Amino acid sequence: MITKLTPARPGRWAATVATIALLAGLAPGFAAAQDAHRGGTLRLVSVSSQGTLDPHVNYTSQFWQLYAFLYDGLVGFKKVGGPESKEVVADLAAALPEVSNDGKTYTFTLRKGVKFSNGKEMTTDDVEASFQRIFKVLGPTAGTFYNGIVGADQCLAAPADCTLAGGIVADKAAGTVTINLVAPDPEFLFKLSAPHASILPAETTAKDNGNAPIPGTGAYMVKSYDPNNSMVIVRNPAFSEWSKDAQPEGHVDEIDYTFGGTEEAAVNAILNGQADWMFDQPPADRLAELSTAAPDQIHLAPLSAWWYAPMNVNLAPFNDVRVRQALNYAIDRDALVSLFGGPALAQPVCQVLPPDFPGHVDQCQYTLDPGDSWSAPDMDKAMQLVEESGTKGEKVTIVTEDNAASRGIGTYLQSVLSDLGYEAAVQTISGDIQFTYIQNTNNKVQISISQWYADYPAASNFLNVLFGCDSFHPGSDASINIAGFCDKGIDDRMKAAIALGATDPAAADAEWAKIDGAVMEAAPALPLFTPKQVDLLSTRVGNYAFSNQYHWLIANAWVQ
Amino acid sequence: MLAVILSRLARMVVVMVGISVITFLIFFATPGADPAARIAGRNAAPETVTAVRHDFGLDRPIWVQYGVMMRKMFVTGDLTSFVNRGQKIVPTLTAAAPVTLSLVAGAAVLWMALGAATGIIAAAFKDRLPDKILMGVSMMAVAMPVFWVGEMVNLVTQSRLHDTWAFSWVPPLGYVPLSESPARWFLALVFPWITLSFLYIGLYGRMLRTGIIETYQEDYIRTARAKGLTARRVLLKHATRAAIIPVVIMFGMDFGVLVGGAAVLTEVVFGLNGVGRLTYQALKVLDLPMIMAAVLYASFFVVLANAVVDLLCILIDPRLRRK
Repeated sequence: MITKLTPARPGRWAATVATIALLAGLAPGFAAAQDAHRGGTLRLVSVSSQGTLDPHVNYTSQFWQLYAFLYDGLVGFKKVGGPESKEVVADLAAALPEVSNDGKTYTFTLRKGVKFSNGKEMTTDDVEASFQRIFKVLGPTAGTFYNGIVGADQCLAAPADCTLAGGIVADKAAGTVTINLVAPDPEFLFKLSAPHASILPAETTAKDNGNAPIPGTGAYMVKSYDPNNSMVIVRNPAFSEWSKDAQPEGHVDEIDYTFGGTEEAAVNAILNGQADWMFDQPPADRLAELSTAAPDQIHLAPLSAWWYAPMNVNLAPFNDVRVRQALNYAIDRDALVSLFGGPALAQPVCQVLPPDFPGHVDQCQYTLDPGDSWSAPDMDKAMQLVEESGTKGEKVTIVTEDNAASRGIGTYLQSVLSDLGYEAAVQTISGDIQFTYIQNTNNKVQISISQWYADYPAASNFLNVLFGCDSFHPGSDASINIAGFCDKGIDDRMKAAIALGATDPAAADAEWAKIDGAVMEAAPALPLFTPKQVDLLSTRVGNYAFSNQYHWLIANAWVQ
Repeated sequence: MLAVILSRLARMVVVMVGISVITFLIFFATPGADPAARIAGRNAAPETVTAVRHDFGLDRPIWVQYGVMMRKMFVTGDLTSFVNRGQKIVPTLTAAAPVTLSLVAGAAVLWMALGAATGIIAAAFKDRLPDKILMGVSMMAVAMPVFWVGEMVNLVTQSRLHDTWAFSWVPPLGYVPLSESPARWFLALVFPWITLSFLYIGLYGRMLRTGIIETYQEDYIRTARAKGLTARRVLLKHATRAAIIPVVIMFGMDFGVLVGGAAVLTEVVFGLNGVGRLTYQALKVLDLPMIMAAVLYASFFVVLANAVVDLLCILIDPRLRRK
């Protein structure tokens, strides 16, 4: 129920008041249920914070989880648990946009009366300025998500003078914003739902705002942030709920997020009732204890992600497709799952798209009897392929991160490669260096272990980003196509599938499933497993909901 | 005296410049460390990486970058992080310093008092039961890694026995500023102090015991005894005073290094966000400005603590006053 409060005559006011009183009288149970859980403070802990608070710049899942209730875009992902969390709903726009001009023009009508936490009303000026700001602050996805907007080329070339003329057309009187694209983009609404497209006040500086909070339209606002200690989040005084799906009014009054300590200490604090939730995953060696001591406090949810081992298709021995296929046949995916903590924490996978993801169809080429799912490794076939390739005895170095899971997998792959007849070694590097190190072709990395988490639910976010020609940049630390895989035929099919998605999403998903198979046939990577999220909550937290996009929906939970 | 201070200052500047140049060069020689790619974020377009490189001045010659960084750190004070974009380095470091100072100063009092007591008692009861017990415990204290001791202390006080009468008073992990509540500041630091000082009590106790026993061989001790001084006076006034000099020198080193960030393991285990943890975090994410600031801060304290110790030694040992 949305009661629209327009400036009204006293008579209408009286009627409204009477109606509210009547409703309250008729449904006391409903009102009580709403209020019963309101209030209290949630205490969250994390080993470290994740940098700048600027929603146009920060690109970490830790802070995106907070942006869900701090900022809004024109549209946003539905703030509910389960599969519906992949749906896009109107947020600051009153309704989903009208798409015209063969999918190249999106027209949004803004909601009226939405206010920023500084009390200022949101207008089309803010929308226009926010889109320019994505480019002015050199946003991480400016060149990958929003480069399809008319005028984005000039903005990428000269960010300071960005106007997006012709790309963003605002009509202040009518309260509409029109976005023109160079080409149809079926994923555009997903991209607009990302926090990087949050609408911020027009007067926000055109530089990364760092640790100073920027006023937002969400249900909460950041009161203080010290990346070395804590963040305090309180209710946005100017907020009134306009859509429960897009931006629900939260239950708790305050959210205190502390940074520091260890995962071990965080588990203790939650069990002692000193904290309510930890961002980091609980240490694997405490999971057995937790599953018996506090089974009701643990929540597991599969992630739209994969752990994989990209194989450099431009370096020996992996420049031979048979070697890449052989390794795919040879690995025991159940063993990999147990290295990560067992079936409760991961599931085996032998394709690119994660389960329940758009375009995912169960398929497994690399197993004893190929079909829908993986059963057992096929060592004979692997040996035969290696023999045919004539690469036996070559040296292979596996580059892993310095955490237990990555190192364990590296050692396991080393043993498999040795069994196949290679001279394998493991090189372990600090996690933060490894991710950029393995991307740069100058470092001549043959095989490495990495992860990818979806930005939004679209097959291209895995296949096109990780194995598309456009994301391969030799000699750069920013080249996310780590395998260096660029197959003209597959690349064209991916582009066609993206275009097809604009007119026929179902057919596009079917095509993506085929592309998934085609990519796996060329085997530029070893799919390892799909990880699951473990949320450990204190006993006083209720109403847990897990969204594929934002993970635990903090604002939907209550503590009373 | 002025000349001594000036020469010390000059030496300090040379040391700090040397350290900062080496740190800077190592950073840029590390593969995969390109700050522009890290700042731009995963899957950034090449145009964005180029724009970031230009915006942060990372496309300028390396010596210019060094000069700019030093100027921003010491002159304008507006050096900002490469990772926590917008985070000012100098205020962050000064905010973290009191945490580490509280931890290390409290622990230093504990370990000097208990370390001295251990050494003196052990020397006085040489080869008898108290000596054997004290030296056995000291050996254990030195052999146990501090992070393990810390985790065990946490396991007992925060987890297994947290709800019993013995440890229910232990506050949650973390720091409480002295200005906010002296009592809570003290309670929050009791176990961190004990944990950090444990190793040093053992180390200093053993060192002092050996020193006193060696000093007992000196002629002046025989003279003191011949004069008819009591055994206690010989031990405390003559033997200990001479034997404690190497301990004090070592204390200066340890104190400086710990204040500069070497207490990181204790800080992390007990959730104290001090300089050590700040340095560790900066190293993990390769935040060059923060690394540079932390390294310079640490070297400053090591040099300063050494200067103070030199003065202390002159006070303790009259022989050092004569030249």
